[in-house]
Amino acid sequence: MSQTEVNYQKKELPAILNKVGLVLLVVGVLLGIIAFFVDTTRASFNYLVSYSFLISIGVGAFFLITLEYVTDAIWSVPIRRITEFLAAIIPFLAILVIPILFNMHEIFHWTHEEVVAQDNVLQGKASYLNISFFTVRVFAFIAIWSFFYFIIVRNSVKQDSSGEQNLTKINSKFSAIFIPVFAISISITAIDLLMSVEPHWFSTIFGVYYFSGTVIASLAAVTIAAVLLKEKGYLPKVTNDHLYSLGALMFTFVIFWAYIAFSQYMLIWYADLPEETFWFLQRWEGSWAIFSILLIIIKFVVPFIVLLSRPAKLNPKRLKYIAVWLLFAHLFDLFWLVMPGMPGMENGYVFSWIDLVFPIAAVGFVIFLFSMKAKKQNLMPVGDPKLKRGLDFHL
Amino acid sequence: MSVDYTIEPPVVHGRLSIAQIEEMVVKPLDTKPDKKFYIAITISGTFLMIGAVLLLITFYYGIGMWGNNQPVGWAFGIVNFVFWIGIGHAGTLISAILFLLRQKWRTGIARFAEAMTIFAVMCAGIFPIIHTGRPWLAGYLMPYPNQHGIWVNFTSPLVWDVFAVSTYLTVSLIFWYTGLIPDFATLRDRTTSKVKKTIYSIFSLGWRHSHRHWQHYEKTYTLLAGFATPLVLSVHTIVSFDFAVSILPGWHTTILPPYFVAGAIFSGFAMVVTVLVFVRKIFDLQQIITLDHLDKMNKVILATSMMVGLAYGTEFFIAWYSGVAVEQFAFLNRAFGPYTWAYWIMVTCNVLFPQLFWFKKIRRSIPMMMVIVILVNIGMWFERFVIIVVSLHRDFLPSSWGMFIPTLYDVGILIGSFGLFFTLVILFTKALPVISISEIKAVSDGAQPSYHGGENHE
Repeated sequence: MSQTEVNYQKKELPAILNKVGLVLLVVGVLLGIIAFFVDTTRASFNYLVSYSFLISIGVGAFFLITLEYVTDAIWSVPIRRITEFLAAIIPFLAILVIPILFNMHEIFHWTHEEVVAQDNVLQGKASYLNISFFTVRVFAFIAIWSFFYFIIVRNSVKQDSSGEQNLTKINSKFSAIFIPVFAISISITAIDLLMSVEPHWFSTIFGVYYFSGTVIASLAAVTIAAVLLKEKGYLPKVTNDHLYSLGALMFTFVIFWAYIAFSQYMLIWYADLPEETFWFLQRWEGSWAIFSILLIIIKFVVPFIVLLSRPAKLNPKRLKYIAVWLLFAHLFDLFWLVMPGMPGMENGYVFSWIDLVFPIAAVGFVIFLFSMKAKKQNLMPVGDPKLKRGLDFHL
Repeated sequence: MSVDYTIEPPVVHGRLSIAQIEEMVVKPLDTKPDKKFYIAITISGTFLMIGAVLLLITFYYGIGMWGNNQPVGWAFGIVNFVFWIGIGHAGTLISAILFLLRQKWRTGIARFAEAMTIFAVMCAGIFPIIHTGRPWLAGYLMPYPNQHGIWVNFTSPLVWDVFAVSTYLTVSLIFWYTGLIPDFATLRDRTTSKVKKTIYSIFSLGWRHSHRHWQHYEKTYTLLAGFATPLVLSVHTIVSFDFAVSILPGWHTTILPPYFVAGAIFSGFAMVVTVLVFVRKIFDLQQIITLDHLDKMNKVILATSMMVGLAYGTEFFIAWYSGVAVEQFAFLNRAFGPYTWAYWIMVTCNVLFPQLFWFKKIRRSIPMMMVIVILVNIGMWFERFVIIVVSLHRDFLPSSWGMFIPTLYDVGILIGSFGLFFTLVILFTKALPVISISEIKAVSDGAQPSYHGGENHE
């Protein structure tokens, strides 16, 4: 497959994109630093929310890439490079995690030795929940994700010029190995970062819960980028049929998330064991109850209705808006998971400007990274042997 | 073997013509049953009769004939129920979910898998009813206003089961029948026998293969697939609720719904592979149900095996992490208690042996895959045994601890359910086309819109 056949001519993304990303990032980071000085606890908790959000987009996007290789998917090939740009977040996680490691005392009360000393349950968990093992796990997972990321994306980019079929085969093999590794690492990440904020609470489904949101967030990010690029003419021959599958997958995972969330809630509510219910009761205190109700509406009811019909999934405009909505929904979900555990917020939500700061930085970071990647590389995997079939794809 | 990614691999091998496909699929229906058929049906019929006799004895004397006791009130009856429901999941997964995922290879195996779904659900349905000990009162499971003012307990997941399974059976039947309509028309147009023509005419509902018919058909099929997809996931979810809503350690764990669904797909695919290997050989369908099909199915088995393995691991880890003593005990007791053998059969059969499917050679070797899928079937039965019996036999009070030992009747009725299942499967292969003729034609060489004489494959 030569480049001429797919007629791809690289067009530079507008410079404004880069600038917008950079401005948001710088503003977000500066405000973030101020936030850490003003209220360290609140800033740390918020930082954790945004960090988990970035893991969702980056690692989730990479999971989508590996899924394409493993299942020999065709339709997603023309937009795979976009997904690769988003997965570029992965190596940066090693730097992004540092503020959390320095503020663990603010977030995780199992790091306080005097608390653990008086708590039998936490003593039992101490061999798992301790600072050194936690740090090892965090960096080990980032290293593993980065390892697969560099191999697979490098091969994909190399294919742009060489068009070698064998690279696809190698990537398929690495992807098959990555998926079980991903399943284990994302589950443990969910337990470490999100569940252990309330170290007494436990739920076996929690890893799946975070995974479902992760897929929603990464699909939404891919959809936003794909629709915007297609609208501006950067992705020739990508049709609404390609976007349809993104819409259908978002729809599927919205339902999947609701299924997992319902299972978790219903089983705990039904069994009514105090060691489990307190976590949900916490999220029913004061104004948190409003958040709990809103979560169902924002993350399930609205996207379900919007994406249900077939024409909706073929309508790029609608897909774009609902994708933005779903990204927000995932952020909202993470906020709901983490923030009620913050000291001082037990009785209900109290507004603070700090809550808005880190998402701005996160969004700015993703936009900036995307535009930097787009400068160097083609927006389509032009050497992929499946690209022509991908462009020919029709529903 | 190097793969060319630039072309679409053919689903049907050997470049069969449309007429050849039709002949190949319809052949078992046109020919008289041979010796092999009678041998097979005799064996499965014998098993069925064994089960039927033991069941009648159970009805006469009561379920005291079984090994159930205090504290193990749920044993083989519920184990078998969950096992068969699980087997029934592959059919709808293949026919509905793979349809929505646009997997063309599903066409070769969908009809057969759907039939197996229906038979498996029928087998499953027997057990909760006989397990109550008074099967003649089963009518009360359906909520209807009656003179006695007796209502079901709507907050009980056992009642949700009744709704879920009966809905599932109904929708599966409709889905299966909808797919059969064009094939009934084909059979009607081929047959020379008057009796057969009348029967096929009735069931084909006046199908004439017209453009408009196809348009309606496609739309209906897509809609039914959309309905069936959440349904298939909900059935095993609700089965898992039977256990997970309780407060029994080992049963009450939030991961149970997705874990049961993954396990159901796992066991269902294993059963479909088990049967398909024979069917494609006996009826000479190797060009339609190819090694590629089996390869892909084995990949699904591998993937779901790892999902199940992840769930085992998560349960174990969280039991420790929870810090709840009874929870920790329940899991240690599973692995190292009196039923340790059952636990390790489950782990090796479900998680270790399927890992062999990482190798392409093994995924494509018929004898190897036969061994592995049969082990998976065994392992998945034991999984339910471990969950149900092993969790029950150690009650909260050590004075209430007990052991469960199956009796001849327990084992015999299980064998009988296999007899029923395989009898239905064998009869099906002679009564209806085991492969969807119309769907296979649509994915054979030359049916693609981009086809211009086949130069791609020369």
